[in-house]
Amino acid sequence: MGVVLKKISKNYNGRTALKDLDLEVSRGEFHVLLGPNGAGKTTVLSVIAGLTKQDKGTVMVGGRNANGLPPEKRKIGFVFQDYALFPHLSVFDNIAYGLRVRRLKETEIARKIDYYLARVNIEKEKNKYPHQLSGGQKQNVALIRAIVTEPEILLLDEPMSDLDAPAREKTGQELKNFQQEMGITTICVTHDQDEAFSLGDRVSVLNEGKIEQIEAPHDLFYHPKTEFVARFVGAKNILKARIIKIQQHEAIVYINNECLVQPFKIRVKKYPIFEKGKEISLCIHPEKIVLKKPNEAVGNNLNRIRGKIVNKRSNGKTLRATIDIGGTEIHAAIPKALFDFRIHENVWVCFAPDAPHPLCGKRCRADEAGRRCLNEIRSIRS
Amino acid sequence: MKGISFDIVVSLITGIFVCLIVLPMFALFTSTSLGELANQFKSPYVLASFLISLETSLAVVFLALCLGVPTAYLLGVKKFKGKEIIDTLIDLPICMPPLVAGLALLILLGGNSGFGNLLSNQGIDLIFSKKGIIIAQLFVSTPFLIKSAREAFESIDQNVINASLTLGASKFYTFKKVLLPLAKNGIYAGMVMTWARALGEFGATSMVAGCVPFKTETMTVAIYQNAMSGEMDSSVAIALVLIVFSFTSLFIFKSRLRGQIALS
Ligand SMILES: Nc1ncnc2c1ncn2[C@@H]1O[C@H](COP(=O)(O)OP(=O)(O)OP(=O)(O)O)[C@@H](O)[C@H]1O
Ligand SMILES: [Mg+2]
Repeated sequence: MGVVLKKISKNYNGRTALKDLDLEVSRGEFHVLLGPNGAGKTTVLSVIAGLTKQDKGTVMVGGRNANGLPPEKRKIGFVFQDYALFPHLSVFDNIAYGLRVRRLKETEIARKIDYYLARVNIEKEKNKYPHQLSGGQKQNVALIRAIVTEPEILLLDEPMSDLDAPAREKTGQELKNFQQEMGITTICVTHDQDEAFSLGDRVSVLNEGKIEQIEAPHDLFYHPKTEFVARFVGAKNILKARIIKIQQHEAIVYINNECLVQPFKIRVKKYPIFEKGKEISLCIHPEKIVLKKPNEAVGNNLNRIRGKIVNKRSNGKTLRATIDIGGTEIHAAIPKALFDFRIHENVWVCFAPDAPHPLCGKRCRADEAGRRCLNEIRSIRS
Repeated sequence: MKGISFDIVVSLITGIFVCLIVLPMFALFTSTSLGELANQFKSPYVLASFLISLETSLAVVFLALCLGVPTAYLLGVKKFKGKEIIDTLIDLPICMPPLVAGLALLILLGGNSGFGNLLSNQGIDLIFSKKGIIIAQLFVSTPFLIKSAREAFESIDQNVINASLTLGASKFYTFKKVLLPLAKNGIYAGMVMTWARALGEFGATSMVAGCVPFKTETMTVAIYQNAMSGEMDSSVAIALVLIVFSFTSLFIFKSRLRGQIALS
């Protein structure tokens, strides 16, 4: 049961929430939806569920037009951003709700619920009421409540935002298992990059009601196509460049960001869109930056720029350093073990020619690019 | 210190209000002797008015429930054009003097109007009957139930309703299993208000049903009738029955309701 959205538009009191949005999620896919607050993620899920009526456009579910179908007929499971548990029902009755609607036998219901509760470690809370649960426990209950009915489409609105790291890993793993066992087409909103990486077959980035890019997670994070996506996925290093020379495999570009005191040249892997004289934006992922001491040797194959460390911030296993290269800042993510620099120390900022990649600015067309990505996924899997 | 003196001021103000309610009650209680009261309670006349009041007010609560809950659901959960108009219409009986309501009902249901004619041709006579009392009381008291229930429906998280729908439940199933249980306390509170209002209703009732002893004379109408014709003892006795009865019922109901809220 795939989901296809065609030119969906939605306004709330004249304010645009979704604008001609196209999205194609194929059968059995785990699709991750990323985007800043207010981008329209919840609205997308709500339109697919039939809870919000779009102003224009078509929702197709399993190849059939679902526009006229009420929510209760769409065979979906929905985990709401605010859980939306039934406050007057116990955990057990909350989860049993959808099964009782389907008139399952009570013994069968109890068996199913015990099975699922055990898989996310909340059997002990079975008889509690929602107001007696922690945020994470509520979220797990909401997830089980949606999954237990074995829906064809699962819509998850930040389903693990309140779980701690180990629980997130466990629930995430179980979620992926459920999803694959049952082959549920899943669309999941998250803000967590690790989650997007570990769960998603494909990721799409939503900005102001439009999809900016749809891609397999790895490509999205390391090859964002627009400046917005680049910044959103944390690839903050964006260099404005002019192509001055094109060679066989590489191009020489002239970096001339507005505030840069001393523009400089670097070597960049050649991309098909390159043309001599063209102005482009290049993006370098912070993980691809290497820092060296001023007296250290730098391989010939690397680009190097003189800089000064202005800030460093620990982030779990990696250190995030900010380096001033003369009017412009470069961000680097360095494994802690390799980092022995002090603030204000002079360094070489080094990166390989294939580290920067161009932001071509094109929006990824859902249909073509989507199909290409999916084919890639299939070929990787098989 | 400031906190304490503020509490004292608030308590004093509350005290004034409590006096405002208790003093007239006290006056009523002291205006008659116990022997006389006992005599009155035994009279079939007092008993009849008590039963008529009880019967009609309970019927009103039942009917208000049937009519009011769906209306409250519509107003509390649904969005539709013309909602404000219906909302204001429902407030109207609350602000309208009951006498005016009674007058309007009298004209509508009386034999001189087309509608009244139609009814009497069918053999339905509402004026000067218990059915008339019920209609008059319903008119003035249902809005209390609607307002309370509507507020309860309105306070239910829309996503909780949505969750039920996405789990495959129909609108009716959702109403039965989610909306009604969650709005229960608001509906109960509304029922109590409606019942109290119906029991105390005088203006509209007397207009529509007149005062036929043993037939359409409710307690309130009987109190008025007796007081006006100088039978103060009867009047006071019925008034006391009314007060004691409604206070006890309200008290029991409220404490049970509070117990339930504490449990959930
Ligand atoms: N019921 C509503 N009435 C009016 N405006 C709404 C409503 N729901 C959403 N919006 C608006 O539509 C836009 C998109 O909202 P949406 O909830 O889809 O964002 P989101 O991407 O889920 O954000 P978040 O990450 O904060 O959950 C926002 O500007 C929001 O203010
Ligand atoms: Mg949201």
